[in-house]
Amino acid sequence: MKNTIIYFIITSIVSPLFSQPSGKEILNLIDKNLAAGTRIMTAKMIISGARGSRTIEFKTWAEGEERAFTEYTNPPREKGTKMLKLEDKLWIFSPSTDRIIQITGQMLRQSVMGSDLSYEDMMEDPDLTSHYNASVIASDTVQGRDCWVLQLNAAGEGEAYEVRKIWVDRERFVPLREELFGKSGKLLKRTQLSEVTRIQGRWYPMKIVFKDMLKAGDGTQFIIETLRLDDPVPENIFSKASLK
Amino acid sequence: MLAFKLAIKNLIGAGLRTWLNVFVLSLALVMIVFQSGIIHGWDVQARIDTTEWAIGGGEYWHDNYDPYDPLTLDDGHGLLPPELSGLYNDGQAAPVLVTQASVYPEGRMRNIILKGIDPDQKIIKLPSSQMAGDTSVINALIGTRMANATKLNKDDLVAVRWRDENGTFDATEIRIAGIFRTNVPEIDNNQIWIPLDRLRKITGLEDNATYVILKQGITSIPTVPGWIFKDRDSLLSDIESIIKAKSIGGIVMYIILLSLALLAVFDTQVLSIFRREKEIGTYIALGMTRWQVVRLFTVEGAMHSVLSIFAAAIWGTPLLFLVAKYGFAMPKATEGYGLTIAEKIFPVYALGTIIVMTLIILITTTIVSFIPSRKIAGMNPTEALRGKVQ
Amino acid sequence: MIKFIIKGLLRDKHRSRLPLIVVAIGVMLTVLMTTWITGVLGDSINLNAKLSTGHVKVITKAYRESMDQIPVDLSLTGTKALITELKKDYPSASWVERIQFGGLLDLPDENGETKSQGPFAGIAVDLFNPSSGEAERLNLNRILVNGRLPSASGEILVSHSFAEKLGISINDRVTFIGTTMYGGMTIVNFTVAGTIRYGITALDRGSVIMDISDARNALEMEDACNEILGFTDVEYYDDSKASELMESFNDSYASDNDQFAPVMIRLRDQNDLGGLIDMMSGVVGIVSFVFILVLSVVLWNAGLIGGLRRYGEVGLRLAMGEEKGHIYRSMIAESLAIGTAGSVIGIALGLSLSYLLQQKGLDFSSAMQNATMLMPGVFRTRITPEAWYIGFIPGIIATVLGTMLAGIGIYKRQTARLFKELQS
Repeated sequence: MKNTIIYFIITSIVSPLFSQPSGKEILNLIDKNLAAGTRIMTAKMIISGARGSRTIEFKTWAEGEERAFTEYTNPPREKGTKMLKLEDKLWIFSPSTDRIIQITGQMLRQSVMGSDLSYEDMMEDPDLTSHYNASVIASDTVQGRDCWVLQLNAAGEGEAYEVRKIWVDRERFVPLREELFGKSGKLLKRTQLSEVTRIQGRWYPMKIVFKDMLKAGDGTQFIIETLRLDDPVPENIFSKASLK
Repeated sequence: MLAFKLAIKNLIGAGLRTWLNVFVLSLALVMIVFQSGIIHGWDVQARIDTTEWAIGGGEYWHDNYDPYDPLTLDDGHGLLPPELSGLYNDGQAAPVLVTQASVYPEGRMRNIILKGIDPDQKIIKLPSSQMAGDTSVINALIGTRMANATKLNKDDLVAVRWRDENGTFDATEIRIAGIFRTNVPEIDNNQIWIPLDRLRKITGLEDNATYVILKQGITSIPTVPGWIFKDRDSLLSDIESIIKAKSIGGIVMYIILLSLALLAVFDTQVLSIFRREKEIGTYIALGMTRWQVVRLFTVEGAMHSVLSIFAAAIWGTPLLFLVAKYGFAMPKATEGYGLTIAEKIFPVYALGTIIVMTLIILITTTIVSFIPSRKIAGMNPTEALRGKVQ
Repeated sequence: MIKFIIKGLLRDKHRSRLPLIVVAIGVMLTVLMTTWITGVLGDSINLNAKLSTGHVKVITKAYRESMDQIPVDLSLTGTKALITELKKDYPSASWVERIQFGGLLDLPDENGETKSQGPFAGIAVDLFNPSSGEAERLNLNRILVNGRLPSASGEILVSHSFAEKLGISINDRVTFIGTTMYGGMTIVNFTVAGTIRYGITALDRGSVIMDISDARNALEMEDACNEILGFTDVEYYDDSKASELMESFNDSYASDNDQFAPVMIRLRDQNDLGGLIDMMSGVVGIVSFVFILVLSVVLWNAGLIGGLRRYGEVGLRLAMGEEKGHIYRSMIAESLAIGTAGSVIGIALGLSLSYLLQQKGLDFSSAMQNATMLMPGVFRTRITPEAWYIGFIPGIIATVLGTMLAGIGIYKRQTARLFKELQS
């Protein structure tokens, strides 16, 4: 689940460019860098709240953009909680109740485990190229690296965010920062990606910080601990049966 | 007639004792009328306030709308049907669109209800015209309760985030153009009002409404498929039940107060009969039957209430009138439960109550006067004449 | 002398019986009225106290700032120690922990998939420990519509119309989905033991009551709660007691600037109840005054009547050569005795009746469609300290005053006319 988010933010692949590429080209390059067939990762999320921060650890299996399965491993309270995303549906399983609950409607807007991310954020279709018109609007430096600044305008109705700005590493084609705006131009969310690491020939950001810009607070950190790309994932893992 | 004349003469002759009884009875009468006036006044005012501020002549609700379940808001709206948009265009109705949103006063997120209403509407008292004007920002209106809860002041800017019809997030700073004070919490608690066209535009719900408030006094209530008409009574049922509870509590007080006043009449009657045996004997000797004498004494006792009604009218009317004019201060209580209570209650004296109370006093006084008088019927007139009964 | 008067009063029933009865009944009604009006007017305050505000409430400083949102993440922690301390420092009050929270209730179909879902506001109280008195405080037995009260862990009460809306029946398994004190997601199954009705639409549309131990498990709130309610030793809200308590408690935490430091607030600081309390004492004052006035007039009249009743006797005593002043004084002494005795009897009767009505209440629920929490349909008197002495004022003073006025006649009477009167 988390994983889809990371995925869309990370979506990319490296290929050095000599002249300024078009927005679409950059998006494709990002996609090439980040899009692996399958991804298996262990990660943790550090959420800051009124009572200090807490850490949630989990393992995720994902395939493409459509299918993802997450199992929480820590803290003990959340251990055994599983989430399954199949296309636009999301289920959650809690071992203590032995119930599978589909997260729909109103609940999709709730924050995930108290983080600055909602279930909906996680459900978002990561395919930016088909939903947004991208153009390069500037150059900038983020974390000491030269970046293209991409502006993405929603191509049609129904996108969660009307405008996105993405700062993309010119060499590695990894997004290093993303800002999400409403129709009125208001900055709603900011994501910062760092600790870009070479994994199986791809550049991956291993730390991502999400921040709801309207809310006070430090935001939510997402840290990838291990990541395996293109390893085989058993087919049955992406089924409701695997939740229980 | 003789009985009346005699009774009045005797009563007035008794001087202070009579006036004390009359005063007590009139006090009871005035107190009771006053109290029921307060309760009734509260009821009337709560109904008027709720009608004027919130519900007008009733509301059409979209089939899926449930004000107590915010989860229904996503689906609880629809295109304004022609019957209702006709009423709207004639100035007979005010459509309201309701959506969920979040505000971020001081960076703490708070889920609220965002309501859109036409700033030019004249259907409810909400000072929506304050939302008109400068269109570069969205001018919003909140109630005092919401202002307290969010610590927002007039002209403050606050970030509001919402989603449009398709789920796209957006946020903007809205300006608090006005803060209104109302006795009706249901249009205040946890909600922000903005112009209807702005809300429709930002949510993409053109021509949609969640509910439609009708103008007061509208008589033709068309059946509109997909919309349910809620009449005033059903929208006012919470107020009705609490008023009922208060009235019942008041009745016991009336009973106790009246008992006390009747005690005085009873005591007076017992004494009259004890003291006036010779008089009784004389009446009988003069040819009155015993029951006629009983009637005389009963009428005499009952006359206390007649006099008290006059007395109450003399001193009570101006007093009650003054309270009705200047009102009776009430606290802003139990607001947490969404009940309507005005800061000042203007008692409403129902003629029916006054007549009923007057009759009750007349009847009970008569009964209380009759009970000791019955003794007369058993008197031996000669003994009575000599004053030897007791 | 006093002995003689009392003997006279006891032996001559005419002299004592009726005046005594009148004084006693009058005083009784006044006492009853005072306790009734205090009780009935205090009802909504009591209701607030029991349902949500307590007489005093301990919360965190941060919680106080956004209390209407009932944020669980701003709860008090270490409440075991805190409550022990409260019980030690203020032993006369009772202290209970409560958790107010919100969440979703989800009813599964036969396959365990969501059938219906709705948001609710929950109150968690100490239900299983009878000495907490919480079930009585919330009047649960009376507002129960169907089913039973929770008796075991995992059982909850759901408001009736909420249950109807979601299609929940008694003994259904439902799933609570919410957020813990630390922001984590919590999913817990509960069994619906019964349904309740408050009579307040906003509450009836979605509320849940559960035992606090269940809420603690569900919300990750071991040794924590968001509100500690304190009830002073008396049944009703006593503003001065609550204020005293609050000042003393807050003084002891004055130096603690942590946002989670406990702070005490009074009932009057919540739900805009301050104004109601002020009005109440005003109204009780006015009503008591009117009653004392009415009773004084009644007893004054009774005194007058008593004096007149004994016209003949006075005449005889005068004829026998008794001094006017002596007769006057002895009559006043008698009225004093009657006033005192009548007041004592009246107060005793009034208080016993008030006590009965305080304990049992006067049940009007049949006159109302549905008994609810907001309008229990049962009215109760409330015995205040004033009720113990308020009857004496009219009971004695007015009786004596009446006799004094009536007795003036004694001085006016001529000995010559007396004999005439005696002859008849």
